[in-house]
Amino acid sequence: MSASPIPPHIVAIERPRESLLTYYVLTAIAANVALPFVFPYLYFRYHTMRYRFDSDGIHMKWGIIFRREVLLNYSRIQDIHLRSNLIERWLGLARIEIQTASGSASGNMTLEGMEDPGGMRDFLYSRMRGTRKEQAGTASDPLAAVLHEIAGELREIRTLVERSRS
Amino acid sequence: MTITEWAKEVVLRLAHVPAEPNVPQGAEESVRVFNAGRNYFTWRMILWGLGNAAIALILLVAFAFSFIPTLPPLVRAIWLAVLAGAAGMLLASIPITYFLQRLNYEMRWYIVTDRSLRIRSGVVWLQEITMTFANIQGIRVNANPIERLLGLANLEVRSAGGGDSTTHGEPSSGHVGTFAGVDNAEAIRDLLVERLRVYRDSGLGEKTVEARDPLSLSAAREVLQETRALRNALASGPRSA
Repeated sequence: MSASPIPPHIVAIERPRESLLTYYVLTAIAANVALPFVFPYLYFRYHTMRYRFDSDGIHMKWGIIFRREVLLNYSRIQDIHLRSNLIERWLGLARIEIQTASGSASGNMTLEGMEDPGGMRDFLYSRMRGTRKEQAGTASDPLAAVLHEIAGELREIRTLVERSRS
Repeated sequence: MTITEWAKEVVLRLAHVPAEPNVPQGAEESVRVFNAGRNYFTWRMILWGLGNAAIALILLVAFAFSFIPTLPPLVRAIWLAVLAGAAGMLLASIPITYFLQRLNYEMRWYIVTDRSLRIRSGVVWLQEITMTFANIQGIRVNANPIERLLGLANLEVRSAGGGDSTTHGEPSSGHVGTFAGVDNAEAIRDLLVERLRVYRDSGLGEKTVEARDPLSLSAAREVLQETRALRNALASGPRSA
Protein backbone atom coordinates (compact mmCIF):
# COMPACT_ATOMS: atom_id res chain seq x y z
CA MET A 1 0.00 0.00 0.00
CA SER A 2 2.74 2.41 -0.94
CA ALA A 3 0.34 5.09 -2.07
CA SER A 4 1.38 8.73 -2.08
CA PRO A 5 4.96 9.72 -1.18
CA ILE A 6 5.79 10.88 2.32
CA PRO A 7 5.54 14.67 2.64
CA PRO A 8 9.03 16.25 2.69
CA HIS A 9 8.54 17.97 6.06
CA ILE A 10 8.00 14.54 7.61
CA VAL A 11 10.96 12.92 5.85
CA ALA A 12 13.05 15.80 7.22
CA ILE A 13 12.28 14.90 10.83
CA GLU A 14 15.31 13.37 12.45
CA ARG A 15 15.67 14.86 15.89
CA PRO A 16 13.10 15.66 18.58
CA ARG A 17 12.60 19.35 19.24
CA GLU A 18 14.59 21.08 21.91
CA SER A 19 11.75 21.64 24.33
CA LEU A 20 11.77 17.89 24.92
CA LEU A 21 15.04 18.32 26.78
CA THR A 22 13.40 20.98 28.95
CA TYR A 23 10.62 18.54 29.71
CA TYR A 24 13.13 15.81 30.53
CA VAL A 25 14.96 18.15 32.92
CA LEU A 26 11.64 18.90 34.65
CA THR A 27 10.83 15.19 34.82
CA ALA A 28 14.21 14.50 36.38
CA ILE A 29 13.66 17.25 38.96
CA ALA A 30 10.23 15.81 39.77
CA ALA A 31 11.91 12.47 40.42
CA ASN A 32 13.88 14.23 43.21
CA VAL A 33 15.64 11.36 45.00
CA ALA A 34 16.11 9.39 41.80
CA LEU A 35 17.49 12.44 39.97
CA PRO A 36 21.09 11.20 39.67
CA PHE A 37 19.78 8.12 37.88
CA VAL A 38 16.93 9.62 35.91
CA PHE A 39 18.70 12.71 34.61
CA PRO A 40 21.62 11.02 32.80
CA TYR A 41 19.24 8.46 31.31
CA LEU A 42 16.90 11.12 29.93
CA TYR A 43 19.77 13.39 28.91
CA PHE A 44 21.37 10.72 26.78
CA ARG A 45 18.02 9.53 25.56
CA TYR A 46 17.35 12.99 24.21
CA HIS A 47 20.78 13.35 22.64
CA THR A 48 20.80 9.96 20.96
CA MET A 49 17.19 9.94 19.80
CA ARG A 50 16.91 9.66 16.03
CA TYR A 51 13.86 9.31 13.85
CA ARG A 52 13.56 8.23 10.28
CA PHE A 53 10.32 8.20 8.33
CA ASP A 54 10.49 6.26 5.09
CA SER A 55 7.90 4.97 2.68
CA ASP A 56 7.19 1.82 4.71
CA GLY A 57 7.44 2.83 8.29
CA ILE A 58 9.09 4.58 11.18
CA HIS A 59 12.55 3.92 12.56
CA MET A 60 13.35 5.23 16.00
CA LYS A 61 16.54 4.65 17.91
CA TRP A 62 18.06 5.88 21.13
CA GLY A 63 20.34 4.84 23.96
CA ILE A 64 24.03 4.98 24.67
CA ILE A 65 24.77 1.96 26.81
CA PHE A 66 21.76 -0.11 25.82
CA ARG A 67 21.11 0.76 22.24
CA ARG A 68 17.52 0.43 21.15
CA GLU A 69 16.01 0.58 17.74
CA VAL A 70 12.36 0.19 16.96
CA LEU A 71 10.86 -0.27 13.52
CA LEU A 72 7.20 -0.06 12.80
CA ASN A 73 5.19 -0.34 9.62
CA TYR A 74 2.54 2.27 8.98
CA SER A 75 0.03 -0.31 7.82
CA ARG A 76 0.44 -2.33 11.02
CA ILE A 77 -0.64 0.53 13.24
CA GLN A 78 -3.67 -0.50 15.28
CA ASP A 79 -4.47 2.69 17.09
CA ILE A 80 -2.87 6.01 17.80
CA HIS A 81 -2.97 7.80 21.13
CA LEU A 82 -2.15 11.43 21.48
CA ARG A 83 -1.41 12.18 25.11
CA SER A 84 -0.19 15.24 26.88
CA ASN A 85 -0.09 16.48 30.42
CA LEU A 86 -0.20 20.07 31.55
CA ILE A 87 3.57 20.61 31.50
CA GLU A 88 3.93 19.05 28.07
CA ARG A 89 1.24 21.30 26.66
CA TRP A 90 2.92 24.36 28.10
CA LEU A 91 6.06 23.36 26.26
CA GLY A 92 4.11 22.56 23.10
CA LEU A 93 4.82 18.85 23.36
CA ALA A 94 2.69 15.73 23.15
CA ARG A 95 3.40 12.03 23.07
CA ILE A 96 2.13 10.04 20.14
CA GLU A 97 1.79 6.45 21.27
CA ILE A 98 1.52 4.02 18.42
CA GLN A 99 0.08 0.58 19.03
CA THR A 100 0.47 -2.52 16.96
CA ALA A 101 -1.26 -5.80 17.65
CA SER A 102 1.30 -7.02 20.16
CA GLY A 103 0.50 -8.12 23.65
CA SER A 104 1.37 -5.12 25.72
CA ALA A 105 -0.69 -2.29 27.07
CA SER A 106 1.95 0.38 26.71
CA GLY A 107 2.66 1.83 23.32
CA ASN A 108 4.92 -0.07 20.94
CA MET A 109 6.51 3.18 19.96
CA THR A 110 6.16 6.57 21.52
CA LEU A 111 7.06 9.52 19.37
CA GLU A 112 8.23 12.36 21.55
CA GLY A 113 9.18 15.92 20.78
CA MET A 114 7.45 16.21 17.42
CA GLU A 115 7.24 19.70 15.96
CA ASP A 116 3.51 19.42 15.28
CA PRO A 117 2.09 16.43 17.18
CA GLY A 118 -1.42 16.88 15.80
CA GLY A 119 -0.18 17.04 12.23
CA MET A 120 2.04 14.03 12.74
CA ARG A 121 -0.88 12.09 14.20
CA ASP A 122 -3.00 12.96 11.17
CA PHE A 123 -0.20 11.85 8.85
CA LEU A 124 0.11 8.50 10.62
CA TYR A 125 -3.63 8.14 10.65
CA SER A 126 -3.76 8.65 6.89
CA ARG A 127 -1.28 5.77 6.49
CA MET A 128 -3.21 3.40 8.73
CA ARG A 129 -5.20 0.48 7.47
CA GLY A 130 -8.76 1.28 6.69
CA THR A 131 -8.56 5.05 6.26
CA ARG A 132 -8.89 4.87 2.52
CA LYS A 133 -11.10 2.81 0.33
CA GLU A 134 -9.14 -0.33 -0.28
CA GLN A 135 -9.33 -1.16 -3.94
CA ALA A 136 -7.42 -4.35 -3.47
CA GLY A 137 -9.97 -6.48 -5.28
CA THR A 138 -10.28 -4.27 -8.34
CA ALA A 139 -7.71 -1.85 -9.69
CA SER A 140 -4.53 -2.95 -7.99
CA ASP A 141 -4.99 -6.69 -8.55
CA PRO A 142 -2.62 -7.69 -11.40
CA LEU A 143 -4.62 -10.79 -12.29
CA ALA A 144 -7.79 -8.75 -12.75
CA ALA A 145 -5.86 -6.29 -14.90
CA VAL A 146 -4.61 -9.08 -17.20
CA LEU A 147 -8.09 -10.58 -17.44
CA HIS A 148 -9.47 -7.18 -18.40
CA GLU A 149 -6.86 -6.96 -21.15
CA ILE A 150 -7.83 -10.42 -22.39
CA ALA A 151 -11.45 -9.37 -22.50
CA GLY A 152 -10.44 -6.32 -24.54
CA GLU A 153 -8.53 -8.48 -27.01
CA LEU A 154 -11.46 -10.89 -27.37
CA ARG A 155 -13.77 -7.95 -28.03
CA GLU A 156 -11.44 -6.78 -30.80
CA ILE A 157 -11.38 -10.28 -32.28
CA ARG A 158 -15.15 -10.43 -32.24
CA THR A 159 -15.48 -7.14 -34.12
CA LEU A 160 -12.88 -8.31 -36.63
CA VAL A 161 -14.73 -11.57 -37.20
CA GLU A 162 -18.05 -9.73 -37.56
CA ARG A 163 -16.51 -7.26 -40.03
CA SER A 164 -14.99 -10.01 -42.18
CA ARG A 165 -18.36 -11.79 -42.31
CA SER A 166 -20.38 -8.83 -43.46
CA MET B 1 -21.24 34.99 31.08
CA THR B 2 -21.49 33.22 34.38
CA ILE B 3 -18.57 32.87 36.74
CA THR B 4 -18.18 29.15 35.96
CA GLU B 5 -18.02 29.80 32.22
CA TRP B 6 -15.42 32.46 32.81
CA ALA B 7 -13.42 30.17 35.09
CA LYS B 8 -13.66 27.39 32.54
CA GLU B 9 -12.29 29.61 29.81
CA VAL B 10 -9.42 30.75 32.01
CA VAL B 11 -8.54 27.21 33.05
CA LEU B 12 -8.67 25.91 29.49
CA ARG B 13 -6.46 28.72 28.28
CA LEU B 14 -3.98 28.25 31.14
CA ALA B 15 -3.86 24.52 30.60
CA HIS B 16 -3.46 24.96 26.81
CA VAL B 17 -6.36 22.65 26.16
CA PRO B 18 -7.41 22.72 22.51
CA ALA B 19 -11.07 23.68 22.38
CA GLU B 20 -12.45 20.81 20.33
CA PRO B 21 -10.93 17.75 18.69
CA ASN B 22 -10.72 17.83 14.93
CA VAL B 23 -12.66 15.23 13.07
CA PRO B 24 -10.62 12.43 11.49
CA GLN B 25 -10.76 11.85 7.74
CA GLY B 26 -13.88 10.22 6.47
CA ALA B 27 -17.07 11.01 4.63
CA GLU B 28 -18.43 14.34 5.84
CA GLU B 29 -22.05 13.24 6.18
CA SER B 30 -21.14 10.17 8.22
CA VAL B 31 -19.66 12.08 11.16
CA ARG B 32 -21.52 11.61 14.42
CA VAL B 33 -20.36 13.25 17.62
CA PHE B 34 -21.42 11.83 20.97
CA ASN B 35 -20.88 13.19 24.45
CA ALA B 36 -21.13 11.77 27.91
CA GLY B 37 -24.70 11.50 29.18
CA ARG B 38 -26.14 14.11 31.52
CA ASN B 39 -26.07 11.67 34.42
CA TYR B 40 -22.40 11.01 33.89
CA PHE B 41 -21.70 14.11 35.93
CA THR B 42 -23.83 12.69 38.76
CA TRP B 43 -21.76 9.51 38.58
CA ARG B 44 -18.53 11.49 38.68
CA MET B 45 -19.91 13.40 41.68
CA ILE B 46 -20.66 10.14 43.49
CA LEU B 47 -17.09 8.94 42.93
CA TRP B 48 -15.68 12.30 43.88
CA GLY B 49 -17.83 12.46 47.03
CA LEU B 50 -16.81 8.94 48.07
CA GLY B 51 -13.16 9.79 47.54
CA ASN B 52 -13.37 12.91 49.65
CA ALA B 53 -15.40 11.10 52.31
CA ALA B 54 -12.75 8.40 52.51
CA ILE B 55 -10.02 10.97 53.06
CA ALA B 56 -12.16 12.74 55.68
CA LEU B 57 -12.70 9.43 57.45
CA ILE B 58 -8.97 8.73 57.56
CA LEU B 59 -8.40 12.18 59.03
CA LEU B 60 -11.09 11.53 61.64
CA VAL B 61 -9.50 8.25 62.68
CA ALA B 62 -6.14 9.97 62.88
CA PHE B 63 -7.75 12.67 65.01
CA ALA B 64 -9.07 10.00 67.38
CA PHE B 65 -5.49 8.85 67.97
CA SER B 66 -4.69 12.19 69.56
CA PHE B 67 -6.94 11.22 72.49
CA ILE B 68 -4.56 8.46 73.59
CA PRO B 69 -3.86 9.56 77.19
CA THR B 70 -0.24 8.37 77.31
CA LEU B 71 0.77 10.62 74.41
CA PRO B 72 3.37 13.29 75.37
CA PRO B 73 1.90 16.80 74.93
CA LEU B 74 4.52 17.85 72.37
CA VAL B 75 3.80 14.87 70.10
CA ARG B 76 0.09 15.56 70.45
CA ALA B 77 0.55 19.19 69.45
CA ILE B 78 2.59 18.26 66.35
CA TRP B 79 0.06 15.54 65.46
CA LEU B 80 -2.83 17.98 65.68
CA ALA B 81 -0.98 20.61 63.66
CA VAL B 82 -0.27 18.09 60.87
CA LEU B 83 -3.93 17.01 60.92
CA ALA B 84 -5.14 20.59 60.77
CA GLY B 85 -2.89 21.18 57.79
CA ALA B 86 -4.20 18.08 56.01
CA ALA B 87 -7.81 19.03 56.73
CA GLY B 88 -7.16 22.53 55.44
CA MET B 89 -5.70 21.14 52.22
CA LEU B 90 -8.68 18.85 51.77
CA LEU B 91 -11.09 21.76 52.22
CA ALA B 92 -9.12 23.94 49.82
CA SER B 93 -8.96 21.21 47.21
CA ILE B 94 -12.72 20.61 47.19
CA PRO B 95 -13.69 23.52 44.92
CA ILE B 96 -10.74 22.81 42.63
CA THR B 97 -11.43 19.10 42.25
CA TYR B 98 -15.14 19.79 41.87
CA PHE B 99 -14.37 22.13 39.02
CA LEU B 100 -12.02 19.63 37.38
CA GLN B 101 -14.71 16.95 37.60
CA ARG B 102 -17.11 19.32 35.91
CA LEU B 103 -14.61 20.05 33.14
CA ASN B 104 -13.83 16.36 32.77
CA TYR B 105 -17.51 15.79 32.14
CA GLU B 106 -17.84 18.64 29.69
CA MET B 107 -14.61 18.07 27.77
CA ARG B 108 -15.42 14.68 26.32
CA TRP B 109 -16.02 13.84 22.71
CA TYR B 110 -16.67 10.56 21.04
CA ILE B 111 -16.50 11.05 17.30
CA VAL B 112 -17.52 8.36 14.86
CA THR B 113 -16.96 8.64 11.10
CA ASP B 114 -17.51 6.01 8.46
CA ARG B 115 -13.88 4.86 8.67
CA SER B 116 -12.68 5.58 12.14
CA LEU B 117 -13.45 6.83 15.58
CA ARG B 118 -11.76 9.33 17.80
CA ILE B 119 -12.16 9.63 21.55
CA ARG B 120 -10.98 12.72 23.31
CA SER B 121 -11.01 13.07 27.08
CA GLY B 122 -9.26 14.75 29.94
CA VAL B 123 -8.26 18.25 30.92
CA VAL B 124 -5.04 17.98 32.89
CA TRP B 125 -4.08 14.69 31.30
CA LEU B 126 -5.42 15.02 27.84
CA GLN B 127 -5.71 12.05 25.57
CA GLU B 128 -7.02 11.47 22.11
CA ILE B 129 -7.40 7.97 20.72
CA THR B 130 -7.85 7.30 17.04
CA MET B 131 -8.79 3.89 15.67
CA THR B 132 -9.96 2.74 12.29
CA PHE B 133 -12.90 0.37 11.99
CA ALA B 134 -10.70 -1.92 9.91
CA ASN B 135 -8.69 -2.62 13.05
CA ILE B 136 -11.48 -3.03 15.55
CA GLN B 137 -11.76 -6.51 17.01
CA GLY B 138 -14.63 -6.23 19.40
CA ILE B 139 -17.14 -4.03 21.18
CA ARG B 140 -18.15 -4.40 24.79
CA VAL B 141 -20.81 -2.60 26.78
CA ASN B 142 -20.65 -2.65 30.53
CA ALA B 143 -22.34 -0.84 33.38
CA ASN B 144 -22.29 -1.27 37.14
CA PRO B 145 -25.56 -1.20 39.14
CA ILE B 146 -25.33 2.50 39.97
CA GLU B 147 -24.54 3.41 36.40
CA ARG B 148 -27.53 1.35 35.27
CA LEU B 149 -29.72 3.19 37.75
CA LEU B 150 -28.51 6.43 36.17
CA GLY B 151 -29.11 5.06 32.68
CA LEU B 152 -25.44 5.09 31.80
CA ALA B 153 -23.12 2.56 30.23
CA ASN B 154 -19.51 2.37 29.10
CA LEU B 155 -18.88 1.19 25.61
CA GLU B 156 -15.45 -0.26 24.98
CA VAL B 157 -13.99 -0.63 21.54
CA ARG B 158 -11.02 -2.96 21.31
CA SER B 159 -8.33 -3.46 18.75
CA ALA B 160 -5.97 -6.42 18.63
CA GLY B 161 -3.42 -6.79 21.41
CA GLY B 162 -3.32 -7.50 25.10
CA GLY B 163 -2.78 -5.84 28.41
CA ASP B 164 -4.84 -3.58 30.58
CA SER B 165 -3.80 -0.76 32.75
CA THR B 166 -5.32 2.22 34.45
CA THR B 167 -3.85 5.65 34.77
CA HIS B 168 -5.54 8.69 36.24
CA GLY B 169 -8.76 6.79 36.73
CA GLU B 170 -9.28 6.20 33.03
CA PRO B 171 -8.91 2.79 31.47
CA SER B 172 -5.95 3.55 29.28
CA SER B 173 -4.82 0.31 27.84
CA GLY B 174 -3.37 0.92 24.46
CA HIS B 175 -5.88 -1.22 22.71
CA VAL B 176 -9.11 0.03 24.21
CA GLY B 177 -11.11 3.13 23.47
CA THR B 178 -13.91 3.81 25.93
CA PHE B 179 -17.07 5.77 25.33
CA ALA B 180 -17.40 6.44 29.04
CA GLY B 181 -20.77 7.24 30.57
CA VAL B 182 -22.92 7.42 27.48
CA ASP B 183 -26.70 7.28 27.86
CA ASN B 184 -27.33 5.86 24.39
CA ALA B 185 -24.92 2.94 24.39
CA GLU B 186 -27.32 0.73 22.43
CA ALA B 187 -27.64 3.21 19.61
CA ILE B 188 -23.88 3.75 19.45
CA ARG B 189 -23.27 0.03 19.50
CA ASP B 190 -25.67 -0.50 16.62
CA LEU B 191 -24.00 2.28 14.68
CA LEU B 192 -20.56 0.77 15.23
CA VAL B 193 -21.73 -2.73 14.33
CA GLU B 194 -23.23 -1.41 11.13
CA ARG B 195 -20.01 0.40 10.19
CA LEU B 196 -17.96 -2.67 11.06
CA ARG B 197 -19.99 -4.85 8.75
CA VAL B 198 -18.02 -3.59 5.75
CA TYR B 199 -14.87 -5.33 6.96
CA ARG B 200 -14.95 -9.05 6.63
CA ASP B 201 -11.26 -9.76 7.11
CA SER B 202 -9.48 -10.36 10.40
CA GLY B 203 -8.40 -6.80 10.86
CA LEU B 204 -4.73 -7.62 11.14
CA GLY B 205 -2.05 -6.42 8.81
CA GLU B 206 -2.73 -5.47 5.23
CA LYS B 207 -5.19 -7.02 2.89
CA THR B 208 -3.26 -9.75 1.14
CA VAL B 209 -4.23 -9.80 -2.52
CA GLU B 210 -0.99 -11.39 -3.65
CA ALA B 211 -1.74 -14.50 -1.61
CA ARG B 212 -3.36 -16.06 -4.69
CA ASP B 213 -1.46 -18.73 -6.59
CA PRO B 214 1.04 -16.83 -8.78
CA LEU B 215 0.56 -19.48 -11.49
CA SER B 216 -2.95 -18.26 -12.24
CA LEU B 217 -1.52 -14.86 -13.08
CA SER B 218 1.09 -16.29 -15.47
CA ALA B 219 -1.59 -18.52 -17.03
CA ALA B 220 -3.79 -15.48 -17.59
CA ARG B 221 -0.82 -13.67 -19.18
CA GLU B 222 -0.34 -16.63 -21.52
CA VAL B 223 -4.00 -16.50 -22.55
CA LEU B 224 -3.60 -12.79 -23.18
CA GLN B 225 -0.62 -13.41 -25.46
CA GLU B 226 -2.52 -16.03 -27.43
CA THR B 227 -5.60 -13.88 -27.89
CA ARG B 228 -3.43 -10.96 -28.96
CA ALA B 229 -1.68 -13.17 -31.54
CA LEU B 230 -5.06 -14.44 -32.70
CA ARG B 231 -6.33 -10.91 -33.17
CA ASN B 232 -3.21 -9.90 -35.09
CA ALA B 233 -3.55 -12.96 -37.31
CA LEU B 234 -7.22 -12.13 -37.93
CA ALA B 235 -6.50 -8.49 -38.60
CA SER B 236 -3.84 -9.21 -41.21
CA GLY B 237 -5.35 -12.48 -42.49
CA PRO B 238 -8.18 -11.43 -44.95
CA ARG B 239 -6.04 -8.76 -46.66
CA SER B 240 -3.23 -11.17 -47.61
CA ALA B 241 -5.63 -13.83 -48.74
